[in-house]
Amino acid sequence: MDPNSSTRAGSAPVPMVSMRGVGKSFGSHRVLSGIDLDVQAGEVVSLIGPSGSGKTTLLRCMNFLEAYDEGEVWIRGALLGYRKTGAGLVPESDRGIAEVRSPVAMVFQQFNLWPHMTVLANVMAPLTLAKGMRPDRARAVAGEALARVGLSAKADALPGALSGGQQQRVGIARALAVQPEVMLLDEPTSALDPELVDEVLEVIKSLSSDGMTMVMVTHEMSFAAEVSDRVVFMEQGRIVAAGTPDRIIRRPDHPRLQAFLRPWFRRSLQGSAAAGAQA
Amino acid sequence: MIDFTLLGELLPVFGQAALRTLVLVAVGMAGGLVLGFAMNAARETGVRALTALYWAYTTVWRGVPFLVHLFIVYFGLPSAGVRLDPFQAAALTLAVYSGAYFAEIFRACWQRIGRGQIEAARCMGLTRRQVFTHIACPQALRASLPLIANQAILVMKESALASVITYPELTMTAGKVVAEQFVYVEPYLLLALAYWALAVLINRLGGYLRRRVAL
Repeated sequence: MDPNSSTRAGSAPVPMVSMRGVGKSFGSHRVLSGIDLDVQAGEVVSLIGPSGSGKTTLLRCMNFLEAYDEGEVWIRGALLGYRKTGAGLVPESDRGIAEVRSPVAMVFQQFNLWPHMTVLANVMAPLTLAKGMRPDRARAVAGEALARVGLSAKADALPGALSGGQQQRVGIARALAVQPEVMLLDEPTSALDPELVDEVLEVIKSLSSDGMTMVMVTHEMSFAAEVSDRVVFMEQGRIVAAGTPDRIIRRPDHPRLQAFLRPWFRRSLQGSAAAGAQA
Repeated sequence: MIDFTLLGELLPVFGQAALRTLVLVAVGMAGGLVLGFAMNAARETGVRALTALYWAYTTVWRGVPFLVHLFIVYFGLPSAGVRLDPFQAAALTLAVYSGAYFAEIFRACWQRIGRGQIEAARCMGLTRRQVFTHIACPQALRASLPLIANQAILVMKESALASVITYPELTMTAGKVVAEQFVYVEPYLLLALAYWALAVLINRLGGYLRRRVAL
């Protein structure tokens, strides 16, 4: 990586994503304040916390789907959403934003597939339209991405004909096909029926074992504990605690974190008790 | 009683008039669709001046009776140096008038497209223009078809007012027969039947197009 590409490069590698003092308000409602967060290449970071704590907004600030109004977000050493001028930060053009966030892909809670396109066309569209790839090449790349999520057989189907789990796997294939360096996943299993959650989690797990850098908002605590290198606990728009899954999920010492995780602990204890009774 | 001999005699006259109505409506509709689409596209850019133009256009043209617009175009424009024959005036007025309704239909269909789909496209690097042409257009145009077909029937019926500025379409033809031959039942019956037939035709066409583009 070119150290000059960052204005703040030290000896440490440039983080994939770096947030510094990021804040965001919707009108008078403050949803994020003082967010400092670095995501290193290859890292899997999970954002957990009660609903309304700002997890999704934080994630959406990472690709400027939400314009932050304080602080700075850097993608691989490039400032996202604004340009630095003598007069301070000024909003960046659409094209400038697109360029900076091009290494970032996103997977949405509601999949957000384009219903009028086949599965293959969904995965191809960003390649041909945004990356200017030739259709035959794009078809090959999209086909590989679909194979990666196990949906080659559904290439010609319309999204509406697929189960929720399959749709989300297409969403992941679409994100994968652009060969991103960071993947943002916004509650990727929250809209799914319980029996469809595992197929999606399997795919995400295999991405993490391939070394994909990921930031994921999730309510699946066991999964977050299993795949994450780091877990970030948020409450009321702030990062309250961050650390390894062991420190944050398995042995939380922060009282608010303990309160947040208590219902999950209770369920998983019942789960293992039931498993023990069966054995 | 109905005089069937007279009905038979009038049939070719009404056939020709129906054709004129059809051409007038087709030209007016085509212009209206293009104008309505362009206006909605202009609004979609988010440029403030274009949004204001859209608002002015759709409120003025939907807020004033068609007949009044027709009078202004046919009797008013000549004083501005623009002299149109009855067909031109009727077709132009029909186009601009229906365009305002089509613009609103397009707007509704564009706004129905989920915010998430647009976000996904934008954060995947598609430009605003690509989102418009590749994501929004195919879905919104499909959704607009039944509404357009319905509006087309209304446009077809408004075209009767072209008779007031002496364009010899269906309604004027019926009026002429009444005035010259002092019969009422046969010409008005034919008039009603002709409009009904045109409405059925438009409906059929709409249904056909909808099936053609269905997913």
